[in-house]
Amino acid sequence: MGKILTIGVNTFREAIRNKVLYSLLFFAVLVIVGSLAFGALSVHEEVRLTTDLGLAGMSLFSVIIAIFVGVNLVYKELERKTIYTLIPKPIHRYQFVLGKFIGMVLTLSVQIAIMTIVLLGVIALQGGALSMALLKMVALIFVEVMVVTAVAVLFSSFSTPFLSGLFTVGIFLLGRSVPEIRIAARKVQSQTVAWLLHGVSAVVPNLRYFYTTGAEVSGGHVSVHTSFPDWSYVASASGYGLIYIALVLMLAMVLFARRDFI
Amino acid sequence: MTDSSFALRVQHLAKTYAIGFFRKKVRAAVDVSLEVTCGEIFALLGPNGAGKTTTLKVLMGLIRPSAGSVELLGRPVGDLHAKRRLGYLPESPYFYDYLTGRELLVFMGKLFGLDRGESQRRAAALLDQVGLAGAADLALRRYSKGMLQRVGLAQALINDPELVILDEPLTGLDPLGRKDVRELIADLRKRGKTVLFSSHILPDVELLADRVTILVRGRTVATGPLDQLLDARLISTEVVMGRPTETLLGELAAAGHMVVRSGDTAQVTVQGEVSVDPVVDLIRKHGCSVLGVSPRKESLEDVVVRQARAGDARSEGTDA
Repeated sequence: MGKILTIGVNTFREAIRNKVLYSLLFFAVLVIVGSLAFGALSVHEEVRLTTDLGLAGMSLFSVIIAIFVGVNLVYKELERKTIYTLIPKPIHRYQFVLGKFIGMVLTLSVQIAIMTIVLLGVIALQGGALSMALLKMVALIFVEVMVVTAVAVLFSSFSTPFLSGLFTVGIFLLGRSVPEIRIAARKVQSQTVAWLLHGVSAVVPNLRYFYTTGAEVSGGHVSVHTSFPDWSYVASASGYGLIYIALVLMLAMVLFARRDFI
Repeated sequence: MTDSSFALRVQHLAKTYAIGFFRKKVRAAVDVSLEVTCGEIFALLGPNGAGKTTTLKVLMGLIRPSAGSVELLGRPVGDLHAKRRLGYLPESPYFYDYLTGRELLVFMGKLFGLDRGESQRRAAALLDQVGLAGAADLALRRYSKGMLQRVGLAQALINDPELVILDEPLTGLDPLGRKDVRELIADLRKRGKTVLFSSHILPDVELLADRVTILVRGRTVATGPLDQLLDARLISTEVVMGRPTETLLGELAAAGHMVVRSGDTAQVTVQGEVSVDPVVDLIRKHGCSVLGVSPRKESLEDVVVRQARAGDARSEGTDA
């Protein structure tokens, strides 16, 4: 575990010394603070609008950061040949993959913590109170971002950043559309297309478990403002997310273990 | 000789890559065998594309061999126990450029399981040893090529390894830097370490290596101590004369010798193991002075060129 953490901390250090990341974080904070202006346009709904915009901005920018940094994680090591110095050290290859992932999760934790503090500050400025539903939503966003990071690391372990980025964005969009894909699978005439859609919805992560506000969950409408699921839902969704992450990382480790570093 | 006296042993190593969209096969190593004894400095030589870096990458677990067996410190490649006792410098090393030299060494030390204090102590000592104490807290992106090579050597030694494998350690260094690295390698031998290195800079190899292996087109073509590989016979003798006359130079050329005039002096090359007395007598007969006589024996460069040509001829014969 010590060596995985050492690689993780080094990856975290790389991320926090990356100027592009600060630009993305700046824009995310700008969107959250900018929601103050939108809130001012609404009548008596300032806190509601700020919360919705803030959470949407936090989710979107966290996913962008996860994809942007995640797809470059392993590839950059190969391109810059830094891997030539690392692999001969007394580490297993799987420790390298896990270390990279943990470093990325550390980075995203800090980013999401900053965004949450800014969002809570903005809400407080508008006279809103700390909502438990908002914290549950932030926890779910964090798990979703970890799932996207694991997918990015998987593609990064055998493909170029461009293709990895394309695939990861594709998986993210499909993952957010799993309920619609399942409906489409029931409605299409062609059996082959139906099987294909069922296959896709089974393989991609169901990211709708995580972005619940404004969506239907177990047949009921869920909103961070009125009827948000309880902590047991957050725990079961997180459990699903962690199992998906474990499977994806295992596949990444198998692929990475077979690679030749020419 | 018992097995434990070998620091590493490579037997009939072969590596074929499949590259590109059409998976074109490239044979980077065909039949490489070498044995490095504990405590010696061993050099891996050969022209570009001979398979030196491929062999070293197999040893380091960066690529997997297609055939053959490899043993490092008595254990198979990738064994963590062996890796702990190993230091490696890749060719033209690249490091995390957002780290400082000191941070890089501490990071590498931690990967060897050293605690922070010990990593920092060794990092400071090694940076001083490779002449980078003044640049220890400078980001690696600001390092010159020579400085990167030096910090690369330092990271290869952070675990005080028994076996040090260096891929082209002298490349990219100025003459002073080369001298420092030569001294560092010689110092490793004094401390009982085993060193395997590849190099294109043959005069340095002659100064350092106890034994060498020459690779040509992915095959081991010669292995042994330097004095056994170098032909002891005289290749030629160069006679330098002062103020030569045109008649003298004409007579020497007519006798079949190569003559090169340079200002007030001229150099005549007498090929093979023959006496230079007739040439010296002729120069004196014309009233000119002999400034120097230098015999030239086979150098390591000659051996590599000879083996490379022989290897090429063998490959062409096989291909035909």
